[in-house]
Amino acid sequence: MAVITLPYKYLERLTRTDRKMILDKVAFIGSDVERIEEDHADVEFFPDRPDLFSPEGVARVMRGYLGIETGLSSYPVKPSGIKFTIDPALANIRPVLGAAVIRGVSFDDESIQSIMSLQESLHWAVGRGRSKVAIGIHDMDTVKPPFHYIASRPSRGFIPLDFKEKMTMTEILEKHPKGRDYAKLVKDFPLYPLIVDDDDHVLSFPPIINGERTRVTIDTKNILLDTTGTDKRAVSVAVNIICTAMAEAGAKIESVDIGGVQTPTLSPAERTVSVQECSRLLGIGLTATSMSELLRKMRFGAEPAGADTVNVQVPCYRADIMHDWDLFEDVAIAYGYDRLESQPPKTFTVGKPHPVQVNAALAREAFSGLGYLEVMPFTLTNEDVLYKKMQRDEKKGVLRVMHPISIENTVVRTELLPLLLEFLTLNRHRELPQRLFTVGDVVDSCLTYQQAAGVSTHPDADFSEAYASADAMLHELSIEYTVKESADAAFIEGRRGDIISGGKKIGVFGEIHPTVLNAFELEHSVAAFEFDLRAVPGYPVL
Amino acid sequence: MAELTQNEKRLLAILEKEKKADAPHLAGLLDATPEAVVQWAHLAQDNGFALVERVVAKEFVYTDEGKNYLKNGLPETQLFRFILPGTTLADLQKHEAFKIGFGQLRKKGLVKVNGAFVEKVLHITDDDTIQKDTDLNRGNDYGAPMDADEAAIRNPSADNPRTKELIKRGILQESETVRYTIAITPAGLALVKQGLDLRGESGTLTRDQIISGEWKNLNLRKYDVSKLPKKAYPGKIHPYQRIIGEMREILLEMGFTELYGGIVQQSYWNFDALFQPQDHPAREMQDTFYLNETLPLPPGYEKVKAMHESGGETSSTGWGGIWKEEKAEQCVLRTHTTSVSIQYLANNPNPPVKAFCVGRVYRRETIDTTHLAEFEQLEGIVMDENVSFGNLLGILREFYNRMGFESVRFKPSFYPYTEPSLDAEVYVDGIGWIEMGGAGVFREEVTAPLDINYPVLAWGLGVSRIAMLRLGLKDLRYLHKSDVAFLRETPSLRPNKGGI
Repeated sequence: MAVITLPYKYLERLTRTDRKMILDKVAFIGSDVERIEEDHADVEFFPDRPDLFSPEGVARVMRGYLGIETGLSSYPVKPSGIKFTIDPALANIRPVLGAAVIRGVSFDDESIQSIMSLQESLHWAVGRGRSKVAIGIHDMDTVKPPFHYIASRPSRGFIPLDFKEKMTMTEILEKHPKGRDYAKLVKDFPLYPLIVDDDDHVLSFPPIINGERTRVTIDTKNILLDTTGTDKRAVSVAVNIICTAMAEAGAKIESVDIGGVQTPTLSPAERTVSVQECSRLLGIGLTATSMSELLRKMRFGAEPAGADTVNVQVPCYRADIMHDWDLFEDVAIAYGYDRLESQPPKTFTVGKPHPVQVNAALAREAFSGLGYLEVMPFTLTNEDVLYKKMQRDEKKGVLRVMHPISIENTVVRTELLPLLLEFLTLNRHRELPQRLFTVGDVVDSCLTYQQAAGVSTHPDADFSEAYASADAMLHELSIEYTVKESADAAFIEGRRGDIISGGKKIGVFGEIHPTVLNAFELEHSVAAFEFDLRAVPGYPVL
Repeated sequence: MAELTQNEKRLLAILEKEKKADAPHLAGLLDATPEAVVQWAHLAQDNGFALVERVVAKEFVYTDEGKNYLKNGLPETQLFRFILPGTTLADLQKHEAFKIGFGQLRKKGLVKVNGAFVEKVLHITDDDTIQKDTDLNRGNDYGAPMDADEAAIRNPSADNPRTKELIKRGILQESETVRYTIAITPAGLALVKQGLDLRGESGTLTRDQIISGEWKNLNLRKYDVSKLPKKAYPGKIHPYQRIIGEMREILLEMGFTELYGGIVQQSYWNFDALFQPQDHPAREMQDTFYLNETLPLPPGYEKVKAMHESGGETSSTGWGGIWKEEKAEQCVLRTHTTSVSIQYLANNPNPPVKAFCVGRVYRRETIDTTHLAEFEQLEGIVMDENVSFGNLLGILREFYNRMGFESVRFKPSFYPYTEPSLDAEVYVDGIGWIEMGGAGVFREEVTAPLDINYPVLAWGLGVSRIAMLRLGLKDLRYLHKSDVAFLRETPSLRPNKGGI
């Protein structure tokens, strides 16, 4: 999520209305107002709308939404006559380049801050941490065109931003804070991307750092924008968003010749959409005229083209419009979610619970009848609890998560009983007897199924109680079973039984072994049992 | 007035004759311990029929040392008697009382050492240390010399500072004795005059008594109904499970089919089939629990691949780039139950489908009071001809209304696999608008590759958020690491106040 700082004065000037009006309505276009401060508000926008990551972008859409200025914003672009060459050696390194010349900017500390934070937000939302897109802005008047995007030896040096001494690119990756952060994006290549001017002065080492030489200050009047990356569409979106934001602030945009192509054009994309399809999707009656109006309110160009068709011009900064339905969402937003007719669908259907949940509910009912209290342990646990404390061997189908958040959450549970013993530890200070149960998912490799387990602790808890409770549960769930002497080390020898059903071991019961009680720091005997709910007749095959 | 117990009645019957007596005496008459009598008397006092008086008496008892001194005189007295004219210090040192007694004698100024000899000092001090030298010399009726300490040991009293001195010297010990005197009140007397049923009480009714008719003659013990004798704790369903159950029931009532699916899912079903781009931040290792397992891709995955790369045959552009099979084969702990519903839709592409799923989902989050790495998600889907975004709002409104939330509102939102998308908020008195969950219409990029040809309305909600509000929890972990006392004390039925 991107939280954007909106200074009121600047925003009011750009939007041409007062802050109250803007802040009251900004949530209706899809945002959360995080903080309202004396001179600015912090507003969070969704990652699919990077065009709203600047006050200029917010003002543009709010003017439309509030009816101050609707329809497409057009951004004239004239050729700067400046050329940019691309070194073919970059093809497998960082092949895509976008660029523009932005003239007549007037910066103050606040607007420099604003463009920097737009740049950072774009690095995150569009650039995926600079891997897809990295943006550099330079003071145009410090460099000499044409410019060259080249693959350079890492031993080449220049003075990076915020440093005083010349460093090689290798050194930058090791010593410069940005170098360390983003080294992984280039360090495995034999040559590194570099942008230089015609005098061979370094502008930037994308996607890592700019040169100090071209630093943008409040005195900067003209900007050269470079945008490099691995994804053509993402690079062009970033260029468009920055250029149009700067144009909203009053700058003039000029294109650059990159390999014979003038970029950017800032021209809209065309889409022809169906009014009927939109009406059906949203559940509102629209005409080509009303739909066009709603789209213009969201700053699209839109003209009816027949009864069922609207021709839409999608502004170049709207990276999120991939599909016609993306436009229909804007229609809904312009219409107002609160005005949409909200009726449940009329089709008749019958509710049906899932057999696994029906079984689980029956097990809960029977456990409750036996005086057992339900607990709902976590499903992430660790080998120590599941196996070591239980004196059991690790299960073959245990799943380890690859990057656990802590040593306590390393595996997905393969049984429930150890987690119930953990609960008894947690509740040692509470009144006895304590009878606890749980019913829930366990895994065996990639397969999920349900088990049920119960524990009873009090000074007289014994084998007979475990047997009786297990028997009652199995009986209530219509599981036919026999019992065989068990070898489960979690229980006391001679006081443990394996539950056999359908020729397979489906569970175990007995009196917990004192070593296990000690391991869980329990002081009273525990009668316990656990069984596999797949033994319930009719348990679905998943 | 509470019913009198049998014992109270017996006590009052005795007191009618005794009027006032101390507890041990009454205990003898009632064949009970004094403690029991006092307890009954207090009960009778609560009812206004008796008066219990508590008398605290201070007593002094002799330590073993004290007992010895009482018989033989204090050590200084013993020494004093031993001293005769011409007694040397060496002689005196041989006396068994010398160690303690000599210091006391010097302190009291009764002796002085003159060269090798010890001599008595005969004088009368103003604080009466020596009553009379002659007494000390001569001894008295007890056969021992008498000073103030000697008097105090014989007759200890709380007012005498000497007694305190003896306590300090470990000769005497102070002890308190509490005695109870019990008297009958006029109301008690009046009650006894009316006549008391003094038949023996029965605690339990036996089978024989019921069958034989003997029960007619029994005086069954009556209980104080204002006091709960013992708490009973029923076995019951977890309050959180109950909330989940309530939601399930609402959805079943609304005609939804329940789904159940595995917690381990292939990235393909968890992300790719939902048009989540392969480089989406939510798919990174720091947000999702990956497992060292892979599963083969299902037939027809090529359409999903085409959708990601170029938008397939729809009006979509797709994400561009190359879609990698290996990434989709990777297994994860499901990050949402949508991975279950999308598979259900792929297997049941004919309308209408109305289904829901409640289950544990996993996010690789740092655990704190409001964030868990695993939590329950409830998700519903509706697929039908001609269902609209407006219908989705209608379903959500209906669901939240049934949960007890009267005011529901919607605002635009963003989810990668729905378009349009929304967030639902409900109004809770005293808190305000609370975000409950997200919803939207599945993108065509999701449905088209799976041959789902009708719009799918989908919505999800975090069950634990409602549970936290309803159960007044400050820490989400409490749902899963619960205190048994909390589970016992949380009633099965909690009145629903505006959803909370």
